[in-house]
Amino acid sequence: MIKKEYKILNKFGLHARPASQLVKIASHYKAELWITKNGQRINGKSIMGVMMLAAEQGSTIILEVDGDGEAEMLQEIEELIHNKFGEE
Amino acid sequence: MPASDRKHEVSVIGVAASPGIAIGPTFLFTKNHLEVAPRKLTDSQVKSEIKHFKKALDETRQGIKRTRARAVKQTGDIVARIFDSHLLILDDVVLLNETLERIEQEKLSADYLVNDFMLRMYRSLKAQKGEYFSQRADDVLDVARRLIYNLKGVKDDFSSGLKKPAVIVANDLSPSDIIHLDRRKVLGIATDLGGATSHTAILTRSLSVPAVTGLKNVTDLVCAGQDIVINGNSGKVVVNPTPTHLKQYINKRKRFKAFTTRLQKLRGLPTETRDGRRVRLVANIELPIEVEAVINQGGEGVGLFRTEYLFLTQGSLPTEKDQVKEYRRVADALAPKPVVIRTYDLGGDKVMPSLEMPKENNPFLGWRAIRVSLDLEDLLRTQFRAILRVSHQRNVRILLPLVSCLDEVRRARKILREVMDELDEKQVSFNREIMLGVMIEVPSAALIADELAKECDFFSIGTNDLVQYTLAVDRGNENVASLYKAYHPAVLRLIKHTVEAGRRANIPVAVCGEMAGEPLATLLLVGLGLDELSVSPMMLPEVKKIIRSSQYAIAQEVAQKAFKYSTATEVENYLLRTMKKLFADLPVWFTRD
Repeated sequence: MIKKEYKILNKFGLHARPASQLVKIASHYKAELWITKNGQRINGKSIMGVMMLAAEQGSTIILEVDGDGEAEMLQEIEELIHNKFGEE
Repeated sequence: MPASDRKHEVSVIGVAASPGIAIGPTFLFTKNHLEVAPRKLTDSQVKSEIKHFKKALDETRQGIKRTRARAVKQTGDIVARIFDSHLLILDDVVLLNETLERIEQEKLSADYLVNDFMLRMYRSLKAQKGEYFSQRADDVLDVARRLIYNLKGVKDDFSSGLKKPAVIVANDLSPSDIIHLDRRKVLGIATDLGGATSHTAILTRSLSVPAVTGLKNVTDLVCAGQDIVINGNSGKVVVNPTPTHLKQYINKRKRFKAFTTRLQKLRGLPTETRDGRRVRLVANIELPIEVEAVINQGGEGVGLFRTEYLFLTQGSLPTEKDQVKEYRRVADALAPKPVVIRTYDLGGDKVMPSLEMPKENNPFLGWRAIRVSLDLEDLLRTQFRAILRVSHQRNVRILLPLVSCLDEVRRARKILREVMDELDEKQVSFNREIMLGVMIEVPSAALIADELAKECDFFSIGTNDLVQYTLAVDRGNENVASLYKAYHPAVLRLIKHTVEAGRRANIPVAVCGEMAGEPLATLLLVGLGLDELSVSPMMLPEVKKIIRSSQYAIAQEVAQKAFKYSTATEVENYLLRTMKKLFADLPVWFTRD
């Protein structure tokens, strides 16, 4: 199990498009993904769950990955966040 | 409601979602409420239930894709993306896995489990503040319904049971419902729910039928078969009109239709008064498919292309690529006539929920339109970049909404110049002389029109908001809505002042609010010296006819005389008398309802 904090860097935060990109990556792995923001914990593989988060720029999200491929999944998502979801 | 009450004529006001007037019998659109009780499975039934569930998912996916394809034809690509999020929701991995797990472990039927899960999602989303989340919740509901119907083996062909042409009255219409309506039988639409920026409002426009949403309780007020009149221009709905009123509405509509048909031959003719004053007559559009109507009705261009739909249909940031495609589409359809593209006029909370936004107490005076665009510079840059790309060999102009001070124009120009430099470096061609105009809808802008005129290329007077801000009236507030008066002398003075400032600086002044399309106001506006009127496409023929039938000299007189009155009522009465005298055969007062 790995738990790590991330700051959302891109200007428009986790709107529908980046949300679906994140969910897509998570769906490729067996490991579980949980995302917490402001105490709200949702299943990171659920598009409906991630939609509810709507994390804005500068906000902090906590990612918890657990299971097969957890490190790889986290790595991929980390890159996505660092690259601002390809938006800038 | 006791039967005796239903006989009375009742008027209600909602959101004017799609223009036009519809009269007809009511068709109460109800959706069958499917009972979803938990069904216990035997061990041997588990496997087949899983198969059944997966099959239903497939069927639902196909169904949504079919609807999407239909939407592409009816509304174009971008608006059809409303259904892309439906597909994403359907493919939600947790919906799938949790349901499969629970079928196996709890031995409960799929329909019950799906309903349970989706209801939870729906409630969580509805519980969040903001239109964005409310819209996502409605999307979940739409998908849930489809899936559960398929699980129950009930065919939902969205036929709604509508047999004869009628006005559809519903609590709410989902995007799927709307796309599948038989357009030939839909005279109009009236719903309880649905704000101005909802998917419902956007899609009813794409049907080109009059629609009023957000009526709150119209379904309580009607009963099947009763007549109803809906005015998609004003948002007014009249339930069970008295026989006298009904006759009046029907007559007006008949005359309007006959009149509009006779006007078809004016299509190619210029909008010019008898004594040679030329006025440019263009149209307001909200979706690219409306361009068809503009062309059919002889519009000389688009005076206001609202771009908010790009946001509202996707709940996501519109990409530069998408914008270029859409703007190009409209510009090409109308070429070489001009298209004025207005930058996003959205409240911060509509732009998207993932932006840090405190709940505004007074959104009307808050963070919206140009303010949002200038604060989120990248948003503006991308929009400018897209417009500039399209400007190469195409006739497009830029319009900035809600400008209240000179600084905003200067900042916008600076950003525009920087984007131009960027494109130069990339060797992308664009029109360096592209016109940048400003909406005059805030009193401060009207009052400093002289200063603004020096630094922009044209004005477009947005009378709707100008009236609200000037008279301090929220049109949507039932308690004060009657105070909203476009013909208030204060508003007229601001319009006049703006036109004169434009004249002095030698820049064209247009008007694009509702007033521009009101036949009652035509002579007044022309007489005040407006260079351009941008109206709803369906008003093009009537306004053109008025202008072609009048003399500029008379129009100027009318404008002068209107200024002698000190109340809106007196101005309106004067104009009514005058127009009736000059244009006896026009349904001049038709849309004033």
